[in-house]
Amino acid sequence: MRVPDSSDNMPMQSADMPQVLENLFRHEWGKIVATLTRIFGTERLTLVEDVVQEALARALQTWPYYGVPENPSAWIMRVARNLALDQARRETRFRKKQEEIADFLERSDFGDPRFSLDEIEDDRLRMIFVCCHPEIPQEIQVALALRTLCGFSVGEIANAFLTTEAAIAKRLTRAKQRIRTAHIPFEIPGGKELTERLNGVLQTLYLLFNEGYKASGGEKLIREELCHEAIRLTDLVACHVAGNRPQTHALLALMLLNAARLSARTDSEGNLLRLKEQNRSRWDKPMIALGMFHLAQSANGAEISAYHLQAGIAACHCAARDAKATDWRQILSLYDRLVELDDSPIVALNRAVAVANFHGPAAGMAAAKSLRGRKELQSYYLLYAVLGEFEAQLHRPQAAANYFRQALKQTGTTSEQHLLRKRLRECEKQLTSELTPG
Amino acid sequence: MPPTPEYLLLFRGTQWHKGLSPAEIQKVMSKWRKWFSDLEFQGKMKSGLPLMTEGKVVSGANGRVVTDGPFTESKEAIGGYFLITVPNLEEAVAIARQCPGLEYGAVVEIRPVALECGPAKIAREAGGTYASA
Repeated sequence: MRVPDSSDNMPMQSADMPQVLENLFRHEWGKIVATLTRIFGTERLTLVEDVVQEALARALQTWPYYGVPENPSAWIMRVARNLALDQARRETRFRKKQEEIADFLERSDFGDPRFSLDEIEDDRLRMIFVCCHPEIPQEIQVALALRTLCGFSVGEIANAFLTTEAAIAKRLTRAKQRIRTAHIPFEIPGGKELTERLNGVLQTLYLLFNEGYKASGGEKLIREELCHEAIRLTDLVACHVAGNRPQTHALLALMLLNAARLSARTDSEGNLLRLKEQNRSRWDKPMIALGMFHLAQSANGAEISAYHLQAGIAACHCAARDAKATDWRQILSLYDRLVELDDSPIVALNRAVAVANFHGPAAGMAAAKSLRGRKELQSYYLLYAVLGEFEAQLHRPQAAANYFRQALKQTGTTSEQHLLRKRLRECEKQLTSELTPG
Repeated sequence: MPPTPEYLLLFRGTQWHKGLSPAEIQKVMSKWRKWFSDLEFQGKMKSGLPLMTEGKVVSGANGRVVTDGPFTESKEAIGGYFLITVPNLEEAVAIARQCPGLEYGAVVEIRPVALECGPAKIAREAGGTYASA
């Protein structure tokens, strides 16, 4: 920046301007969409989203010139309320309801900080229950949650899911149609229904987290944001009296204990690192502490869910000072129980890794090979990568190299290919040195 | 003292933010805010304001015709302006190129303020003065 000319009435320095919290717009979006949906009804979700979008656009148009208002959230809320009021007055299609809505909006002032915080929290939880309603197919629920609860644009969702904007737009349209035709209510279910519906919510949040956590493809930044949004929403559920259950805390613990290690998972060039290669000082310690707190909270019930076991496994990794100190006996026993609850081949494969670490690579190999017949795993590069790893540990570089080559054929992502090529080169180097006498 | 050149930056396009996500809107807003206050801090900003899209258009003799408008195409409509004081057009262009809306389709038009039009200059050289000066 250039040094300013000396002047009596120097304008305020840019450093003095109020800072807008990171993600403020995104989070306001979620809040206001929920509140307005209560007023307009779930069938008017598109209108509600347009109103909130316009309110944020007004902030974009005026704040650069007049400065950031003292209470940015209240400003956005007030503008959204006024726009919604205009909309309700202008409408003729819903004549009867329109008067009711306009009347309600005139009386309420949700831009007022005195407006009940509980009410806002209730609305947000209701919105989560709408997005995760069993009438909506699950893969659509995840996209809808990202749009409606987290304010992701169609483009951002498409980026995260490695698909086209058209495909995402179609999913969202279908979701909104479903909400209308099934008359999905804006409410927190009660009684017996609550437990079942809450399980559905947790499952969708788990999917959302995994979408961000899995290493394959997509923009790294957006993927990490998915993880953080999943954590934020799960935290919201856990803090609400209707969602404060042991398995909610278990899910939250599992997310935190894994997300805390996200940034250490890649090197400075973005290449994947194996667990034993990771620099553990880069793990997020406050996040690990919070995860441990929720893990303790999750122990309040009688039931042990798959989330409990996965959180326990993540906790073992977090608690180990270095790779050698990892409590593989405990991890294996958690996996033994997890395979009983979840028969997915990927869980079984992870268990095989735990077997190898505790009983040695030969035992791991036997556990992994028993998975070869599983249809879902046949084209899965991870199985070959793991088998290659075991062969390498058994000092059979030729066999290891063959597995790594097979794995390479089946993964498209550069970070995974990079790791596999590195391992392949190491095996080939070992082979040539064995062949060379001396 | 020679008069300081002034340039009017007109921001055309009032719909370019339509498809942006809340996160992107916030990013552009913050960048634009910084851009504006840096120019203020550097003493280059004379005034700058956003404009409402709808107003009135007056035309005809004695302002006979008053209509709503201007209903310019949203791509052409002016969303706001900066009046800046910089030594030359090159610097005005350099500033305009920093507009955070460009990335999303906004267009910046730069118009030098005519400090002296031809006839006024002739009148001054002939010893005349401006009525308002």
